[in-house]
Formats: sequence, structure tokens, C-alpha cells
Amino acid sequence: MNDHIKYYAGIDIGSVSIKAVLISSQRIIASEIMASGGNYRDAAQKVLDGVLSKAGMNAEGLSGMVVTGLGAENAPFRARQVSDISCQARGCRCLFSSARTVIDIGGQFTKVARITAKGRVADFLMSEKCATGSGRFLQVIARILRVKLEEIGPLSLKSQSPVEFSTNCAVFAESETVSRIAEGARVEDILAGVHRAMASKVALLVKRVKMESDVVLTGGGGEDVGLVLAVSKVLGVKVLVPEQPRLSAAFGAACLAEEGI
Amino acid sequence: MPFAGIDIGSTMTKVVIVDRKETILASVIGPTGVEHRHLALKVMDEAIGQCGLTFEALDFIVATGYGRINVPFADKQITEITCHARGIRAIFPTVRIIIDIGGQDSKGIKLDTGGKVANFVMNDKCAAGTGRFLEVIAETLGVKLADMGKISLAAREYVKISNTCTVFAEHEVTSRLAEGATIPEIVAGLHESIAGRVVNMVRHLGIEKDVVVTGGGAKNIGLVKAMEGKIGFPVLVPPEPFLTGALGAALLGKGFFDRGMIRDHERRLESVTFFK
Repeated sequence: MNDHIKYYAGIDIGSVSIKAVLISSQRIIASEIMASGGNYRDAAQKVLDGVLSKAGMNAEGLSGMVVTGLGAENAPFRARQVSDISCQARGCRCLFSSARTVIDIGGQFTKVARITAKGRVADFLMSEKCATGSGRFLQVIARILRVKLEEIGPLSLKSQSPVEFSTNCAVFAESETVSRIAEGARVEDILAGVHRAMASKVALLVKRVKMESDVVLTGGGGEDVGLVLAVSKVLGVKVLVPEQPRLSAAFGAACLAEEGI
Repeated sequence: MPFAGIDIGSTMTKVVIVDRKETILASVIGPTGVEHRHLALKVMDEAIGQCGLTFEALDFIVATGYGRINVPFADKQITEITCHARGIRAIFPTVRIIIDIGGQDSKGIKLDTGGKVANFVMNDKCAAGTGRFLEVIAETLGVKLADMGKISLAAREYVKISNTCTVFAEHEVTSRLAEGATIPEIVAGLHESIAGRVVNMVRHLGIEKDVVVTGGGAKNIGLVKAMEGKIGFPVLVPPEPFLTGALGAALLGKGFFDRGMIRDHERRLESVTFFK
């Protein structure tokens, strides 16, 4: 480790997974993702230890750290807390200088923010009341279809005629899925139908924050090519996706630590 | 002169047969299957058998409920709003507000002083506030849906369930259990949550005495009590809440017949062959 180079960490304690990113001059040195499980404190410590050991350093070598996410208060180490939406905005802005709208589709919530050219949050909305717009909807349906989460995207691209759900409720869609399977609907058509339903729900949020291009899609949802395509279709714009969509908030947190703001 | 009403709901199919004097001759409740039509016939057959009639002896058959268009042997289809109103008015003539908590939707119906439907509100978009919410969470808790009312009465206080969405509430319930909340407290909290949603929806109609709660939700004493708490006065519950739609359908059929209306089409033969 070079003593003249400064390292910064960002930790994102989310409802489903905890992410850590180590950076230096906005460049990712190492990253780590782990399931949150039942104990945020222990898991957060493990994730931090993991990312540090990947970089061959210890906590003393860090010049700054920011924690964010739903479970930020549970962090077992002293670090500044910044809201996940600010971190997400910062991260997306660092990755894509043209980013003006950020859509974060997480395991439990979907958040949409319009950001300024400097990467500050101008407006922000969140859907926490209903599972339809979030990753949970996909998880519920994938469980019935016995499809792994990472298979959903590629599989849905094979769809010729997406199923039109008569409902926007994840619970009702679950039973509708069962009847559709009984009627002979194909798995890929059901998944593509779920993507459409989610995309239309997400689009409602995006419209309310007054979308500006470019649009970035992050969070676990960004790893699902079918969902990205559906969102891009509904919004009528190209959607940018980070290389590792689940890391962008942790990356943004690290960037904020580095900037010392 | 018998008249039949068949109510095909999302989870249950109900048949009521009445005579000229509006006395109930037979009533049957069965689960709604994937193929509504077969089940409609089966339940109807059972009801006919109960009062020793034949299918052809029925003077008028009215179908209602969300599966009403799938009944090939019905003489007329009428919405469940109208049928519930008619059925409940026969039991409680003073009714002004009907709250129907079904397996997959919930409704509020307002009647004018003459007993006519004046307005209604409905939620079929979201599982929260419907029987489905309780059904899903009963499974998570490992308790029977039919036991939830009694279970909740054992709670001295309730655990607040802050998530509206059924999917999220399911998780919340698991966390509350892990924190040491008891099942009765949680079930009472669920009843509070549904009651809050349904009563708030019905408030748009202007709540007036008497209020009747019907549908599967009315069989849940805990839910009924929670609703009374929100409404601020006691509500009435029919002796068999599942049957009010089918009863109304049968009575409306009698009304049509009395006004000289007869079957406008031949009852389809296929329905008869199914009775074998």
C-alpha cells in the first residue's frame, strides 16, 4: 500500500444485501456484496472486513468512510451517515456525467430521483407502500415459476407475447400466474408480463419527478435485462445501467467520503 | 314456484332457493374451482337435491358474483351490488350501509331510504383490505383462517402493522414474532389494519345506521369488532354472511317473475347433461 494514496470506503446497508466499495480518486479498488441476513451489525462488519482484506489493508488505512442505506444506523463502526438517495445520485453522477434521472429498483423499495448536473438531488420519490414496483414482485413470481432471479432477465427476452396481468397487486398477480400456467402460458411470457407491470408502475414515479435524460437504472433491478428493456420501452428513452448496478450507492458513499462533503 | 340465486365469488360459490313466500328452501356453499361452470352446476345440483326439486321446476335463475357470466343456465345476470342490497334488505329492512368483505375484494354499498342502491365504493385492485390479506398472513402464522376471529379476542392489546401491502406485511409479521409479539396480538393488529382500510373507504359514502357487514369477513368476530371500533357503533351481521348475495339473486328472480318476465332463452341443454 502506498502511503501517499488515500483510500475511502462506502458501505450500503440495504434490506436484502450489504455492499461495500473501496475507492481512491473515484476509482474502485475493491468491492464486496453480502446478504443482509438477520443481523445488520455483524453482516456490515463482515462486508467491511471483506473489502479491506481484498485490498490488503486494515481499517486504519482508510481516510474516510460513509455509511448509507436502510440499516445505516446499525453500522458497528463510526462513520458519517448520508441518505441512500444522495449516495445513489452521487454514484450515478460519477459513473455517468450525463445522468439526470436515477431509478433505483431495490429488493423492497423503488426510488426515483431527478439530479442536477452537479449530482445533487433535485427531486425524489419512493414507492414503499406496494410491492408491485419493487424487486419483491419479481421474487414472488419467480418463486412460483421456480426460476432463479438471475435467470429472469435472459428468459424474459424470449417472450413472444407477454401476459397482460389484470391486476397490479403482487398478491393477486401471484394467483393469476397460477391460473395462467394452468391455461398453458409460457414462463417467459409471464416474466415479460411482470416486467411490463413493474415498468408501468416505475414510470408513474418517474413522470412525477419530471424525468430528464439521461436515465440511469441501478439497484438489483439493473441486473435484470428484461426489466431494463421494459422500463426503457415505457419511458421511451435509452436507459443507462452501471456495470455493477447494486454497487452504485456504496460507490457514491465512498465518493462523498472522498469529497469530504 | 321456486326461484334460485347463484353467487359465484372468487373463492366460494353459493346457491339459495326460495319459494313464492320468499322462504328459503335450500342453501349450499362450495368452493369456487378453476372451472366455474362445472362447479356452478355441482352446487346448484346439491341445492336442488336438498329441497327435492328438479332443475326444470325452477321458475327463474339469477346469477351474480364475479363469475356470473360463466353460468350457462342462468336466466339473468345481475351485479353482486344489487343482489347483496336485495338480500340484506330482506334480512335487515333498516339497512343503509352494507360492507362486504370478500375473498378478493371489498365493497361498500349505500342504500337510500327506499332501499335502492344510491352509491358504492369498491377495492379490487389491492389485496390489502380484502380476505386475501388475512388468508396470506394466516398461512404465515400457521393458523386457520376460520380461527382468526377467536384468536384475536384473546389479545389485550394489538401490534400495529404499519405496512399496507400484503407482501410487506407478511415480512413485518415475521419480524414482530421474532421480537416476541404473540399471535393473538398480531392477529388483532391485522384486523385493525383491514378494518381501518375498509372503513376509511366506506366513509366516502357517509356512514349511517344501520350498518351491515357481510361476506366472508363478517364471519370473523375479531374483524367485525375492530370495524365497530372504527365506525363508533355496533354493526349487524346476517346469520349466514356468505349467502346474502345468492339470497338477493333469488329474490330478484322472483321479482322479475312476478312482473311477468320469463326466461328469455332456452336453458342450455349442456347444463342439464352435466347433472348426471
